[in-house]
Amino acid sequence: MTKHLSPEKLNERRIKAVQLRLDGLTVVQVCERTGLSAPTVSAAWKAFREGGWAAVPVRPRGRHKGQANVLAPALKATLWQCLHELPPVGEPGWNSADLAQCLEKAHSQPVSQRAVEHWWEEEHLKREAWPLGSLSKERSMRGRWYRQAVAPVFKQLNSAAQRWQGGVRHLSHPDGSLYQIYLHGSRGRLWMRSFRRPPVAEDYLITLKALAANGPAALVFHGAALSAAPELTAWLAAQRDFWLVPVPADIGLVPGESVRAGAKSTVFNNCISNGCVPHNRASNNPDSNSKQVKR
Amino acid sequence: MTSLTHLQRLEAESIQIMREVVAETDNPVMLYSVGKDSAVMLHLARKAFAPSPPPFPLMHVDTRWKFRAMYEFRDDMARDIGMELIVHINPEGVEKNVNPFTHGSAIHTEIMKTEGLKQALDKYGFDAAFGGARRDEEKSRAKERVFSFRTAQHRWDPKNQRPELWKIYNTRKHKGESIRVFPLSNWTELDIWQYIYLQNIPIVPLYYSAERPVVERDGTLIMVDDKRMPLEPGEVPMMRKVRFRTLGCYPLTGAIESEADTLPAIIQEMLLTNTSERQGRVIDNDSAASMEKKKQEGYF
Repeated sequence: MTKHLSPEKLNERRIKAVQLRLDGLTVVQVCERTGLSAPTVSAAWKAFREGGWAAVPVRPRGRHKGQANVLAPALKATLWQCLHELPPVGEPGWNSADLAQCLEKAHSQPVSQRAVEHWWEEEHLKREAWPLGSLSKERSMRGRWYRQAVAPVFKQLNSAAQRWQGGVRHLSHPDGSLYQIYLHGSRGRLWMRSFRRPPVAEDYLITLKALAANGPAALVFHGAALSAAPELTAWLAAQRDFWLVPVPADIGLVPGESVRAGAKSTVFNNCISNGCVPHNRASNNPDSNSKQVKR
Repeated sequence: MTSLTHLQRLEAESIQIMREVVAETDNPVMLYSVGKDSAVMLHLARKAFAPSPPPFPLMHVDTRWKFRAMYEFRDDMARDIGMELIVHINPEGVEKNVNPFTHGSAIHTEIMKTEGLKQALDKYGFDAAFGGARRDEEKSRAKERVFSFRTAQHRWDPKNQRPELWKIYNTRKHKGESIRVFPLSNWTELDIWQYIYLQNIPIVPLYYSAERPVVERDGTLIMVDDKRMPLEPGEVPMMRKVRFRTLGCYPLTGAIESEADTLPAIIQEMLLTNTSERQGRVIDNDSAASMEKKKQEGYF
């Protein structure tokens, strides 16, 4: 009965089943309401009693992406070498096709793009594109930012191929600090470069120039204060058909950031307004009746 | 008999110290550096003398290089609690434009902090100054007494300190001598955070993790807080999720990468850390025993 369900749907129903059992319904009643079989309901209930809520969901099926060791160490070393070098002429970074081609040239061995993408996942280099389109109607700080800063720029560009997004980030790697510039083109296609030191203005310029070379383009960029570098501001000012839209800090767009819809700009205010510091705890505060100091 | 928690014991001890100073000295002052220890110390002072405001002013020895968020917080705080706030900046340092970049951290600290503090104490004639130093911060602070006596030239002699047996403090001083008083001596960094959490004490937002523009200098993450920070050729600040365990002059204060953006998360992080918060201060790494030398010359 549950084989046709995805793990996510199944987990939802298992949690619902446990909630209903906790409400006092019998197994038969729970089966009727959730559409699960009696053994599944009993199994979820047993898992809950033995391990709490965390034990109720089933394990994900199959192996994790990127766990398969499909590339030999020599190939991986070549991939790292490529990523640290300049990308092919005219490209803003390395994509999986270019890297697969590079491997084939270096080792005379055909490697699929999928294998390269699996290696990205294994090394935590792969990033998902931000769902910018879904922000257009979102009532939040990032929704407002999208409508005010991104949408007017994207409106001027007809093709999705002209709309880019990306950023720079720091990764802790077993071989030491690693910095990555990543870009998503149309359909979430990924380009990247990596560095052993923080990228400098010249590195960003190579990427930006490659994007601007193919006509009008816009880049929504996160992770660097590009306006602080005079070389970059001068180049950007000279462009008529290239738009750079920086992603503001702490709007919850980038994974890993705390996502708070409608959050205020400072983390301090977030903390207070979200109630992580209960006000009733300050009962012996000499000034407990006064307002919290707000910036 | 009611038993006190360890935080209540520390609180009671600190309040007793503050009341003792006010009873025994003529012109006390509370040094306010805008950090978390100062926030706790100020909160304790308000408790010690409630419902009246504390009978001494706050004094901030400014260097002009603190984080912008610290200045905003300081002014908001002073306005909200209604205490007198004295801000002193060494005028000689201003005249010579002393800064951490061209003069180096040692000279900047010496002129803007140590000399600035001595000038301010002399100018206003303060004979006792509360400070938020703790023994767990740094080894020279560990051996300093709660009541630390300074000569008329503000020098500290670590080999000539008074015993403080059974928490009885000898506050008698010679003419010209002054006292630096540390009511938080026996607190640890974790105690401070727990107390801030329990008492809901407002602190500078820089203590919470957030995305901030930083550059790496000798392995230290330095926040680019304003345009005065000179960047290397081609250098571009990166936005990284960082927070500060200690706050000082921004070019001399290292950030740590952290996801702790709430007080419980900070406390959890504190429980796992095994390094001192002062590790993030560039001035503490000038030379061996640099803090003790600075303290002997009058640094807080």
